[in-house]
Amino acid sequence: MWSLGVEYSDTIPGAAGARFSLRFTRRLVLASGAAALAGLAVAQPWPVQSAGTHDTRFMTLSRLLIPHSLDPEIGRRIAIDLKADMAPVSDHIDALLKLAQDRHAAVVEDFFPFASDEAKACALRIISAWYLGVVDDAPGAKVIAYELALMFKPTSDVMTIPTYSISRPNGWGAAAPPLIAMPNF
Amino acid sequence: MAQLESADVVVVGTGVVGCLIAEQLLDAGHSVLMLEAGPRVERWQIVEGYRNRPPITTTNLDAAYPPTRWAPFLDSTSTTTAADYLQLEGPNARAYRQDYVRYAGGSTWHWAGICWRLTPEDMRLKSLYGVGRDWAFDYATLEPYYTRAEHALGVCGPSEPELQWPPIRSKPYPMGRLPFGPGEQKFTDAAARLGLKNLPSAQARNSGVAYDGRPPCCGNNSCIPVCPIGAKYDAASSLPRIEAKGGKILVNAVVYRVETGPADQVQAVHYFDPDRQSHRVTGKLFVIACNGIETPKLLLMSADARNPRGVANSSDQVGRNMMDQPKLVAAVTLAEPAWTGVGPVQGSSIMQTSQGDFRGEHAGALFRFNNMARSRLGAMQALKKGLVGKALDAEIRKLSACTAELTLEHELLPDPNNRLTLSDKKDALGIPKPNIYYDVGEYVRKSAEVYSTPLVKQLAHEMGATDVAVTTEFTNSDHIMGGLIMGANPADSVVDVDCRAHDHPNLFLPGGGAMTTAGCGNSTLTMAALALKAADAMVAQLTHA
Repeated sequence: MWSLGVEYSDTIPGAAGARFSLRFTRRLVLASGAAALAGLAVAQPWPVQSAGTHDTRFMTLSRLLIPHSLDPEIGRRIAIDLKADMAPVSDHIDALLKLAQDRHAAVVEDFFPFASDEAKACALRIISAWYLGVVDDAPGAKVIAYELALMFKPTSDVMTIPTYSISRPNGWGAAAPPLIAMPNF
Repeated sequence: MAQLESADVVVVGTGVVGCLIAEQLLDAGHSVLMLEAGPRVERWQIVEGYRNRPPITTTNLDAAYPPTRWAPFLDSTSTTTAADYLQLEGPNARAYRQDYVRYAGGSTWHWAGICWRLTPEDMRLKSLYGVGRDWAFDYATLEPYYTRAEHALGVCGPSEPELQWPPIRSKPYPMGRLPFGPGEQKFTDAAARLGLKNLPSAQARNSGVAYDGRPPCCGNNSCIPVCPIGAKYDAASSLPRIEAKGGKILVNAVVYRVETGPADQVQAVHYFDPDRQSHRVTGKLFVIACNGIETPKLLLMSADARNPRGVANSSDQVGRNMMDQPKLVAAVTLAEPAWTGVGPVQGSSIMQTSQGDFRGEHAGALFRFNNMARSRLGAMQALKKGLVGKALDAEIRKLSACTAELTLEHELLPDPNNRLTLSDKKDALGIPKPNIYYDVGEYVRKSAEVYSTPLVKQLAHEMGATDVAVTTEFTNSDHIMGGLIMGANPADSVVDVDCRAHDHPNLFLPGGGAMTTAGCGNSTLTMAALALKAADAMVAQLTHA
């Protein structure tokens, strides 16, 4: 087992939701690799409905819904929480993948407008999870991603991710980049 | 009941005031014991706690500080939790929903670090404008302590007198000013076109250089709720130094009684541990510095046969004159990007609008640009629109960059009717919760109507606003003042010019509670200056004894 045994525990008294653990295991590394491979399949013929694991189908759909680089480990964790939180999620994922396949979609704009309301809701939930770093944005919700949450990316050329730094001592200034200069991410 | 501890000086509270006094007394060779109601945590725990909160808590700035069962404070998680501890009533009850932290280090963990001074006029409201009160001493008396406080906290600020507030100083700031980000510069330029000067804040943040063992600010933009690198002054860096000098710090020690004896002397304080076991601590001098709410509460709880209205309360002024700077917020939508999240969360304010002859009629106000990164807020709003793909990213960028908040903070007059009393509701240890009646009064309401709200709309439009919505319900600024009001006359004030209780020669009550007037600026530097003045008096008193 390739466990690094890295595990942190926040001991702030009563800090509900503040506990987290980070443990790399062989299983996770393998799963991540599989998810990354699945990502390569985007330009390939569409996966047969219900083929592949929940994780791989989730990552394939995620890459169709979001035109950005996606971290497979974050995807794996979103997929788990979404499945637990939303009963027919697998059906919606299948439906969305089939729709994308039928419409020969390369990007989200190619198929999302044609999805059913229920499938759209599922797609928006997946997108929201990637952007906000939580499946259900409510007080006490488990945070899956912070600095890698996509919500920070469209402004990453200017705005600091709070607690992180993109500058140096007194290194920032008043330059205001234009809206059209969207960062690549 | 166990008696475990004794020291020359017993300090209740480990925030900025308690720490400054403890260190001064240790340096003078006296033993110091500090008692803290809450737990002691490490910086990384707060940072991780903050990062592991969901985006919806973005504006709940104390979410990374969950209260303990034995040392509760206001929990802003929801309106239900917020109503649990502070019992608030009166026309502006919402505006006294004060955020503070009962942890070792107190609210220095999550203060913005802003260090405005009062002006000479702020301290003479009664003489100059016929409202409020005059302080028992003038600005010239306080100025040397302001300077010492700036050096003790590590305050940066502009070297140009025309950018200083007020430009009446005996020494320069220990460090130069921090730069503006684009939003604060845009606000500054708009103000200038209206003839107003947006000043770089004096702030307890290291500017360009390390100071006092702390690194320079790198613009991490999370000063509230925590500086992840310790560039901002917080008592987390003072506490180890106090211990290195021989001071002792007891945490999870909830003081619930101040015990008095013959000759009006305070003899001991009593505290509960989390299991409600009681302990007694004796000393020569006692400092109660656990903020402007907890200190009056403790004094009122300590009523005894000698002090039937509470300790230090022969004037009946303990818990009265509760002050803050009632706040309104302008939500602004702009045609062009302003950008936030570059540099510290706050870095400037228009201060001249706090001064003027109008103060006989209505309050002045401070105006500032809120520089907290709006990326999360922009993303949450954009996602709610159901957008996907490029449209989603573009909307996040636009909403993050082209929206802003301008904050208005008003001067409140000391009013004895704004009063803290003991609620009949009890906390987990059986200690009464604070009950506070609060009315911002016509002085503030008139300012909002005829002065501050019209002016903030002008500022917003000058910035290029396409939409401006100014709140009408006042909210808290977390600057708790007045409940232990200072004065020369023991009949109408609680403490003397050294924050010594009029009623008890060995009891000191320094901090925001002692402030006679509030001004419009953040109160911490004045609290720190009063702490140093009190510390000098305590050293003299111990030496004389």
